[in-house]
Amino acid sequence: MGGSMFVAPEINYVALLPMIIVFVGGLVGVTVEGFASRRTRYAVQVPLSVATLVLALVALILLGQDNQGLTAADTVALDGVALTLQGLVLVLSILGLLAMSERFGGDQPDAFTQSGVSTPGSAEETLATKVGATTTEIYPLTLMSVGGMMLFVAANDLLLLFVALEILSLPLYVLSGLARRRRLLSQEASLKYFLLGSFSSAFYLFGAVLLYGYAGSMRFADIAAAITSGVGMDGLLVPGVLLVAVGLLFKVGAVPFHAWTPDVYQGAPTPVTGFMAACTKVAAFGAMLRVLYVAVEGARLEWQPVIAVVAALSMVVGALLSIVQTDVKRILAYSSIAHAGFILTGVVALDVAGVSSTMFYLATYGFMTIPAFAIVALVRSAGTEATLVDQWAGLGRRSPWIAACFTFLLMALAGIPLTSGFTGKFAVFSAAVSQGWAWLAVIGVLASAVTAYIYFTLVVQMWLGDEAGDTVVVRPSWMTSVAILVGVAMTLALGIMPSPVLDLAQSTAAFLR
Amino acid sequence: MSLLTAYPEIAASVPLLTEDLPAADFSDTPWWLSLIKSSMLFTYVMISVVLVIWFERRVIGQMQQRPGPNRIGPLGILQTAADGIKLFFKEDVTPKGADKLMFYAAPLIVASLAFVSFAIIPMGGDVEMFGHTTPLQLTDTPVAVLLVLAVAGVSAYGFVLAGWSSGSTYPLLGGLRSTAQVISYEIAMGLSLVAVFLYAGSMSTSQIVEAQQQSTVLGIPLWYVVPLFFSFVVYVITMIGETNRLPFDLAEGEGELGGGFHTEYSSMKFGMFFLGEYINMFTVSALATTLFMGGWHAPWPLNVVFDGALDQGWWGLLWFTLKMWSFIFFYVWVRGSLPRVRYDQFMALGWKILIPLSLVWVVAVMLIRSAQEGYFGDGRWVTVLTLGGIGVFVLAGILVWDRYAQRRLAAREEAREVPEEIDPFADGYPVPPMPGQRLVEPQPAVEQARPVTVPAGPTDGDDSTSPNDDDKERRG
Amino acid sequence: MDYHPYLPVVFFLFFGLLFAFGSVFGGALLGRTTYNRAKAEAYECGIQPTPQAHEGGRVPVKYYLTAMLFIVFDVEVLFLYPFAVAFDQVGLFSVLAMLLFLVVVSVPFVYEWSRGGLEWD
Repeated sequence: MGGSMFVAPEINYVALLPMIIVFVGGLVGVTVEGFASRRTRYAVQVPLSVATLVLALVALILLGQDNQGLTAADTVALDGVALTLQGLVLVLSILGLLAMSERFGGDQPDAFTQSGVSTPGSAEETLATKVGATTTEIYPLTLMSVGGMMLFVAANDLLLLFVALEILSLPLYVLSGLARRRRLLSQEASLKYFLLGSFSSAFYLFGAVLLYGYAGSMRFADIAAAITSGVGMDGLLVPGVLLVAVGLLFKVGAVPFHAWTPDVYQGAPTPVTGFMAACTKVAAFGAMLRVLYVAVEGARLEWQPVIAVVAALSMVVGALLSIVQTDVKRILAYSSIAHAGFILTGVVALDVAGVSSTMFYLATYGFMTIPAFAIVALVRSAGTEATLVDQWAGLGRRSPWIAACFTFLLMALAGIPLTSGFTGKFAVFSAAVSQGWAWLAVIGVLASAVTAYIYFTLVVQMWLGDEAGDTVVVRPSWMTSVAILVGVAMTLALGIMPSPVLDLAQSTAAFLR
Repeated sequence: MSLLTAYPEIAASVPLLTEDLPAADFSDTPWWLSLIKSSMLFTYVMISVVLVIWFERRVIGQMQQRPGPNRIGPLGILQTAADGIKLFFKEDVTPKGADKLMFYAAPLIVASLAFVSFAIIPMGGDVEMFGHTTPLQLTDTPVAVLLVLAVAGVSAYGFVLAGWSSGSTYPLLGGLRSTAQVISYEIAMGLSLVAVFLYAGSMSTSQIVEAQQQSTVLGIPLWYVVPLFFSFVVYVITMIGETNRLPFDLAEGEGELGGGFHTEYSSMKFGMFFLGEYINMFTVSALATTLFMGGWHAPWPLNVVFDGALDQGWWGLLWFTLKMWSFIFFYVWVRGSLPRVRYDQFMALGWKILIPLSLVWVVAVMLIRSAQEGYFGDGRWVTVLTLGGIGVFVLAGILVWDRYAQRRLAAREEAREVPEEIDPFADGYPVPPMPGQRLVEPQPAVEQARPVTVPAGPTDGDDSTSPNDDDKERRG
Repeated sequence: MDYHPYLPVVFFLFFGLLFAFGSVFGGALLGRTTYNRAKAEAYECGIQPTPQAHEGGRVPVKYYLTAMLFIVFDVEVLFLYPFAVAFDQVGLFSVLAMLLFLVVVSVPFVYEWSRGGLEWD
């Protein structure tokens, strides 16, 4: 039959090693789930997954620098941006994983259900509790998701981007449905996330097909070349770009694609919410930067105003709707929507400063979100998490340290000077202003003021409110403590002397095309 | 051991195909001729079905040392016709809980889709028909085998909808079982076909037949049943599972489900399921003939005598029909010999034996073909045997481990506390046990007949006849 | 008109549909119909029919698990088909890639197996 028509692509396996480590770790985790006994699973999984992530980080730091370039038939671009964001995802996921592993000294997982497949309140659930079932599947799931995120920020091809999108999303859908308490709410969140996520994936695919029709290729470089030379089929480009953007904007939870965010953030197990909020944002914004800056930068006049409007809407809606919230997790969810808007302000700038400020902001946001949700998981009332604002009243007197940490994180979320929130906002707003998007910066500052108000009322409740009945703060083990302390320390460090990280972001802000 | 080491050699003795295979040529087939051929094929299938119902009953009868139908026509051959006419005049009952639309749609789906797969089966060589030269095959596409699998997947809807729409418990269970069964066995079936595609390099049925004819050893066509014997075995098992035939007819299970998904069906609507089942039998048998038994070609040496005159044109129809009917006979033989398996055993066979083994087999075939293509360079058998050995080792490990787990489970079951014993006849009439209770083992008659030694001295208590004695009397 | 490979399939399906419709509705017309309340009830060996079967009832979650497993493996088989057909053109790289793919699919299968997902009770 015919001769050899298929040419195997060159693959730089060394450059891909960090991702390979994470995926292999996930597969090993699945195998452990299959064969380890119920009692030993937790003891094996926690070191295994943390070691996998640390090993991947070490490999990334040692090998990444010297192995930059396009590989695997130009579908993977390992450049400064990709490596920086991969490193950020890894660091944040280590913190997130530690927070997820919290058991408060018991032998039962704290945040995760005994058996995800049993109906809440059913006999199977009772039986699962009796035999001491645990959901240690969260570790392989998290590793798979992290692997998908690392691929997401490096994908240089619309098809590979889609594969990575699914790899990172599917485990998250499962993870959000595994909460131990209020399981119906959690399952509802999971289903909502799954359905809306599938819709957004479909939008993304439709856009990718249109772009393929326009350029005749899925590679970012080819799409960029087609736009420059103007040879493509007109009429497919703009819808294609916008539909692809819908898929990515859904992942970051920008208005008007934010509807899932509050419900999922509230329903998912709290440590998962922290992981999801921080790492998904990093990955999705990384992919968005690459698509917008590398592939369709030539059509900037078409999409830039749309992204700017989405940014403005996200900031305004996120800030305004957070005022009426009475639940701490929902406040943080709406703050995440507003923050998506702030980050988009940096994306819109469309120059090197835009890239570096976006990356810097992602780092600051990640380091304040994970500890914030870790603290939410500690405040309890009658055994369950006390997430109502009223229940947090007087927390400052009961456990001043936790309250102080949370107050500091809220200040960072609001963007008060001497916190990383201020330096991050300053970076993205100045990038936007320098490119003529001053009105966005003005809206951003106003929105920050509004969010500052709601955080301020929460702080006032915590320190000056009357002590609410039975709200207690559980004493965390070292794992949550590390997650909180590292996050708070980074928030403080990035606020006081941001220059090392800013320099790093600036020096790595160039895309390989 | 010698077979183990020799088998890769047999599998590797099939030469690589060096040129593109000739596919069936339809360039001289106008659309009206296709229409005529469709009606001819339809007639062929219908006659086959009518014959097979009689054939099955006769053969099973002989196997069970009874005559079978022998009243209507010579040797009872018109029995099927009589049954069909009777079905037409039976009352058509629709239960009141049924979903009317789906209740009617299900038999229509099953019956009409059952025919479709036959369209891609090559039944003979090129023949002259109304002044045109056309192959004895309705049509062929580059993905013809995929069409069969797709149609099989869609007709599973017929069974599940029949079960669901009846609004009755047994059909619902039967329909679910049927779907679970079909989809479980479809995977193993699909995997067994991968090996055929690896050898033939095509999914077009006429090309696969041609590939078998061209892969000759010493001039004898080596049909894929020889080099791919394991795939053949898996295919034959799964084809019985796919068509819901004994010993795998769990979706109907008269003993446990009272008829399964078609419990509520009567008249010709039931007839459609009946018909669909038999057509499906023919379809999978025809596919087995095509993929593993050389299709319509004459068996060696008949394909070379008289300059191959017996291996072309209409002769192909004869060889094809003979081969297909030998599979049908196998169906009947199996039905006459084996009892129905238990559902969990059936699923375990599919998921724990057929699928893993097929996977390993596919990998082995892949490696053998890679070595033949020269992907591994020289000294290729080393690689193949090592990898194959590893595969077998892993698989054996898994099987052993599963047995161990089963045993552990059994031990745990045994260690459970024994439920309270009750006597079912305690109150004078039989009572089934409640959950957590178990029945007193009934005593065998011999034990009961043993003389009872009456203890000397007065019995304590005034009830001279205990309930137990009472019930022994009644049972004896 | 050029030969289209799927046109005969449509013809054949047409014959099948004709036959099926003719039989089902012919049977419904020819058979006699007498109303009988017990006959219209669901069949359950003579006992009072269980009410929840109406409208399909609830399907045990086990079946969904089988369905999901089926999807995974059927997709795997579908990936194998084009690979098998083009086997002589794709080279060692693709063989190794396919082996890797099979291993990745096997890992969750082994997990499922060892955790009792394949036990049918």
